[in-house]
Amino acid sequence: MTAIAPPRVGEAVLDPGGGRQSRPAGLPSTLAGWLFISPALLLFLVFILGPFVAAMALSLFEYDLLTPAEFTGLANFKALVGDELLLKALGNTFVFAFASVVTHLVGGLVLALAVNRGLNRALSYFVRTAVFFPFLISWAAVALLWRYVLDPTFGLVSHYLTRIGIDPPGWFTDPAWALPSIIGIDFWHTIGYTFLIMLAGLQTVPSEMTEAARVDGANAVQSFFFVTLPLMTPTLFFASVITFIGAFQIFDPVQIITSGGPDNSTITAVMYLYRTGFQAFQIGYASAIALVVFAVIMLVTLLQFWGSRKWVHNA
Amino acid sequence: MSSALTRRNLLRGAGGAALATGVGLPLAGCGGDGGSGGGGGQAGGTVTFVYYGDAEDQKAYDALFNRFREEHPEIDLKFQGIAADSWADFANAVATRLAGGQPVDVVQIATEGQRIFMSKDLLEPLDSYIAKDQALVDAYYADTPEPIRRLLQQYASQDGHTFYMPGGYNTMALYINTDIWSSAGVEPPTDTWSWEEFRAAGEEIKAKTGAFLTAAGNGYFTDVMPWLLNNGTAPLSEDWGSSTLNTPEAVEALTFVRQLVVDGLAPEPGGTFDAPTQMAQGKLASFGGGRWPTNDLRRLDFIEPVQLVRWPENGSAGTPVGWDAFPILKMSKNKDAAWTLITYLMSEEFGDAVTTGGGATVPARISDATGPAFLDDAPENTELLVELLEVATPIPGPDRGPEMQMVIEEAWLQGVSGTKDPQTALADADSRLQGMFA
Repeated sequence: MTAIAPPRVGEAVLDPGGGRQSRPAGLPSTLAGWLFISPALLLFLVFILGPFVAAMALSLFEYDLLTPAEFTGLANFKALVGDELLLKALGNTFVFAFASVVTHLVGGLVLALAVNRGLNRALSYFVRTAVFFPFLISWAAVALLWRYVLDPTFGLVSHYLTRIGIDPPGWFTDPAWALPSIIGIDFWHTIGYTFLIMLAGLQTVPSEMTEAARVDGANAVQSFFFVTLPLMTPTLFFASVITFIGAFQIFDPVQIITSGGPDNSTITAVMYLYRTGFQAFQIGYASAIALVVFAVIMLVTLLQFWGSRKWVHNA
Repeated sequence: MSSALTRRNLLRGAGGAALATGVGLPLAGCGGDGGSGGGGGQAGGTVTFVYYGDAEDQKAYDALFNRFREEHPEIDLKFQGIAADSWADFANAVATRLAGGQPVDVVQIATEGQRIFMSKDLLEPLDSYIAKDQALVDAYYADTPEPIRRLLQQYASQDGHTFYMPGGYNTMALYINTDIWSSAGVEPPTDTWSWEEFRAAGEEIKAKTGAFLTAAGNGYFTDVMPWLLNNGTAPLSEDWGSSTLNTPEAVEALTFVRQLVVDGLAPEPGGTFDAPTQMAQGKLASFGGGRWPTNDLRRLDFIEPVQLVRWPENGSAGTPVGWDAFPILKMSKNKDAAWTLITYLMSEEFGDAVTTGGGATVPARISDATGPAFLDDAPENTELLVELLEVATPIPGPDRGPEMQMVIEEAWLQGVSGTKDPQTALADADSRLQGMFA
């Protein structure tokens, strides 16, 4: 979120072309512009807009991939209305996304504060690397790893819980524990990313302001809540938006660890979409679900932007 | 969710993808076995072979087919591995590629996907190719088990047409650690044995060695079907047209397994552990498997103390069976060349190479499955895997098989873990399955 200010009157304008025109002579400026953005535009068309338009079209058909599609109008959308499993999937996804946003914002900020203030440089680098490292591991590996770690009999966690007299729950078999377990694993895997964003945000807080607050008699807590936190709100807002968007599309760990069970307690919207499209081969219906997922994400993101006017401090 | 044996391990084993150690095998030429195909003449062109496996398996495949390439320079053989989580998912992935217009000529398809591909009219009948190479096919059939040919005919042919040539297969036996059994003073069974005998052995083993009797997972092939089939029932009807998951026999089977967990004779399900490793460490007295655990036991250098025995029965004997088979896709532009590849897959040389290379299925050819390359450096009584074909029931592959498999596995897990009582878990699943048949 960088603002580019116009040059002041009388200030020299940097010209990388040394005063010469940077585009080839005779090439219209609009064409040059299109050429510059064409790689990104091509990617957008092929991977974003194209599939989106295709999903809109496919949602109007009954199609099983292997036999010709049949136009059914809005039938897929009508079917969505009474689909209890979709409601369950959306409910689970909202719970997961909400928990993910809260835990990542709080956890990321706390970790960033600890690293930013309390540690010497060497230890700070070590903690940064250690916290970020799980994010570099693929979801498939993380999911399998945690299935071993949380195995109720031979798993590491169960072993130590049993040794201190705690009977481990059925992490992935008890409907009350399955979703929280996935939330915890997601936190472990992705907190490093939020942590880095928070750390970058903290380092943009001008030290003059916190020092001024201290001179005015503010203690550390007051300084944090009345100076640091308000200045961090743009970062918090950014993190909340991208965390929600990512969390609402959660798929890999659920698919690998619980397959949506037990009793659909961990089925998510994208997983339901996958099941419908690539296991039941109801591509039209799956496309309709995809549009619902898109609409929900867009709506929530718009709400976040609308709400940000009330709490995000833009300097 | 699997516990002792991951579905992934099974699936890597159940197909030719587990040919991994076949690199550099001295394959003989396939010219003697290879037919010229339905079109006659020397068929050439590009042939794309899709198999179950990942990039790691690619080199092994390439090596196994080096000789084929030498013998058939006119055929440009390409491999595409699909690293799916189950045979059902593999079939789905192939279908998606076909829908995307990707050229595929020959596919390795397991039992779960065979009927789906056939019913979608994706396959070329092999009758004319078989007729042209009748002697070769007859010789292959004469060396393959009758049950496999019969089941393939029953479940994967249509209107009298043959669409598949059979490949390797797997049945389910129990691998037992004889050291644990003898430490507990329990004699392993020599033939059939009952659930009560199995359980009594487990109690002795637990009391005297502390080891678990067996693993209690929820794999469709590795756990659900063996327990059901050995209690006279199955998850689906014989024609795969309706659910039979809510029968008293099924509830009884699930209740029995749950009780093993409750009594501490089987570890709690819901995570993942490596059963061969736990067995080698003396913590697990038995686990179920086909051929594939042998490779794990070799890796652990733990072949000698292990023996294969029959699954315990409760008045009825049974085992699931799954086999891989090779069809030619209707979309293939080089069907004659594709058939040439299939004849190579049927050849003695290929069978020998796969067997010697440590394949994780029972080889299709009886001569390979009863030969020293298969039986040496393997647990005692490995030939049981072939004998069990006499009581084998195919793993079901109805049109909505992947979804159904998920429902059944989830219900089994709920019952074994105690999340739901067995009756409720199976009744709920049965209701969902009936909805899928509607």
